[in-house]
Amino acid sequence: MTTITTEATEGPQAPGGWKPSALRRGRGSRRVPPLGVVASFAMLLLVVGWSLAPGLFTGQDPARGVPADAFQGPSVAHWFGTDHLGRDEFARVVHGSASSVTSALVAVAIGVLVGGLIGLVAGFIGSWVDVALSRVVDVLLAIPSFLLAVVVVSALGFETINAAIATGVSAVAVFARVMRSEVLRTRRAVFVEASLLLGGSRMHVLLRHVLPNASRSVLNLAVLQFGLSILVIAGLAFLGYGDPPPASDWGLLVSSGKDYPLAPWLVYTPALVTIATVLSANRISRWLRKTD
Amino acid sequence: MAQTRSSTTVRKPDARLTRGARRTSSPYLVYALQRVAQAVAVVLLAYCFTFLVISVLPGDPVTNTLRNPENNFTEEEIARIVAYYGLDQPVHVQLWESLSRFLTGDLGVSLRSNLPVSRLIGEIIGSTLVLAVSALVVAVVLAFGIAYGTRNLPAPLARPLRAFPSLFLSVPNFVIGLLLINIFAFQLGLFQVIDSEGPAATFFAAVALGIPVSAQIAEVLIANLDHEARQEYAGFATSRGLSRSRLFWRHLLKPSSLPVVTVVALTVGELLGGALITETIFGRTGVGSLVQRSVTTQDLPVLQAVVVLAAITFVVVNLVVDLVYPLLDPRVDLRGATKRVRPVTEGASA
Repeated sequence: MTTITTEATEGPQAPGGWKPSALRRGRGSRRVPPLGVVASFAMLLLVVGWSLAPGLFTGQDPARGVPADAFQGPSVAHWFGTDHLGRDEFARVVHGSASSVTSALVAVAIGVLVGGLIGLVAGFIGSWVDVALSRVVDVLLAIPSFLLAVVVVSALGFETINAAIATGVSAVAVFARVMRSEVLRTRRAVFVEASLLLGGSRMHVLLRHVLPNASRSVLNLAVLQFGLSILVIAGLAFLGYGDPPPASDWGLLVSSGKDYPLAPWLVYTPALVTIATVLSANRISRWLRKTD
Repeated sequence: MAQTRSSTTVRKPDARLTRGARRTSSPYLVYALQRVAQAVAVVLLAYCFTFLVISVLPGDPVTNTLRNPENNFTEEEIARIVAYYGLDQPVHVQLWESLSRFLTGDLGVSLRSNLPVSRLIGEIIGSTLVLAVSALVVAVVLAFGIAYGTRNLPAPLARPLRAFPSLFLSVPNFVIGLLLINIFAFQLGLFQVIDSEGPAATFFAAVALGIPVSAQIAEVLIANLDHEARQEYAGFATSRGLSRSRLFWRHLLKPSSLPVVTVVALTVGELLGGALITETIFGRTGVGSLVQRSVTTQDLPVLQAVVVLAAITFVVVNLVVDLVYPLLDPRVDLRGATKRVRPVTEGASA
């Protein structure tokens, strides 16, 4: 399940290239994804649904508290129980997911665009550009990513969108590295040489051969990074570097729930939602890697 | 993800014969000098990068404090103090002066307490080091335990065990900390939350910090073990009647765990970043809590110093591993090496 196939190291593929084994194995396993992958997609769909239309999933108002109902355990009326003000925890989680999911997407987008561009330029142009950019990436890798995110968010100001940007900045290095190695791998391929000899411009080679070949690894990493970004953003929100309390980011919910040890559901329900989301992203990323 | 190619090549059987004809200087020496130069460059760049990120801050804390009406400074005094700290200079001049002070070992002065930053950090770094090192020990032990289990336990147990690294990677580390405190401090009473620096509390803090780190180590270790187990020598040993556990200890473990050394070095960043949250949850006084205080009080010299020290730690640990690794693992051939030795399979990039 979690095995990483080391033998499946196929080289870059020319467009329209025919690989019998990949056809049979790849398509076959892609048509029927394992149950865990289906469940993971369902979980991510659910979370995306929560963030797009929270009203469809809960009839309760996340901001309206009924003091008489404070600290009720999970029940049919309140799936995730209620908090110290009698607010429905499930409604808060559902309404908070928009901010958590959007932030993670923003972070991944920054990582893919900035990191991808750095990696592409470094790998494609080579020479001193590559050396210079690689040192920049080394610097980003050398600073612990969570510490980097904390510094960036404190430079930008404590808001959820800034936490997302900070998380994105801390992910740039990983994307740059993967993109660079993919570009280098493809550039060495025979069909790229052929394409250049046939008069293909560098731009043509880049768009037709290099980017499509790299996209798979980058997509894979993006899915993985989506999960990791949710964790980092939750961590920043937990430390109070996101939007202040009327917001209900998952990390913030855990942080405010921890003050009430006698109402453990206030910690465990948002935590479980976070774990399930990240686990799903990891599972899908693994599956993509395997069916590559 | 496709395999991350390492820039080193595994030596071919006949490489020894053709070796050394072209190059007179030792390849190891060249490699070592290159790596050291790189490490120095990265640390200096990290300093500049952090300085620039921090100076992006809208409004600097000194001006904020000075212009606070309660403090009652005259414009003249403010100008004098701003000039004293060099804040009236353009950014690149400030960076240059700050960098040259850093090169002489001066980390600056805290804006809040007026104490030298090096003293502030020196007072508390011990606690963080104890935490990080114990967490690393926990992580390595846990990772090897999981990896051992996946190969030697019966299948119904080993299969779910393979999901553990993935699970560990998906749990926010503050949740692990809260869970441990709830179970072991509140319910079982094994340690007191108040006594946050005591051995029991330190142990559980190390577990909380170590679990996500163990996942990364375990992932690579399991992948390497699987890879080794597919090699012919493993099949040969099994066919000669070697037991599973003997095969594991005698043959699989050594080639699989050597590359893990580099992964462990890469997790240093994780440990230092994670310490921020773990120290907060367990109420420990350390670099993490210092960072948090500096963030809220905008104590920039402290932040700058912590980030650079973290980068230095990361770079030095990785440099040492990269320098020692070729001596440990005879499979690494340095003649093709241009940058660094990373004979690790996937998982390391995550």
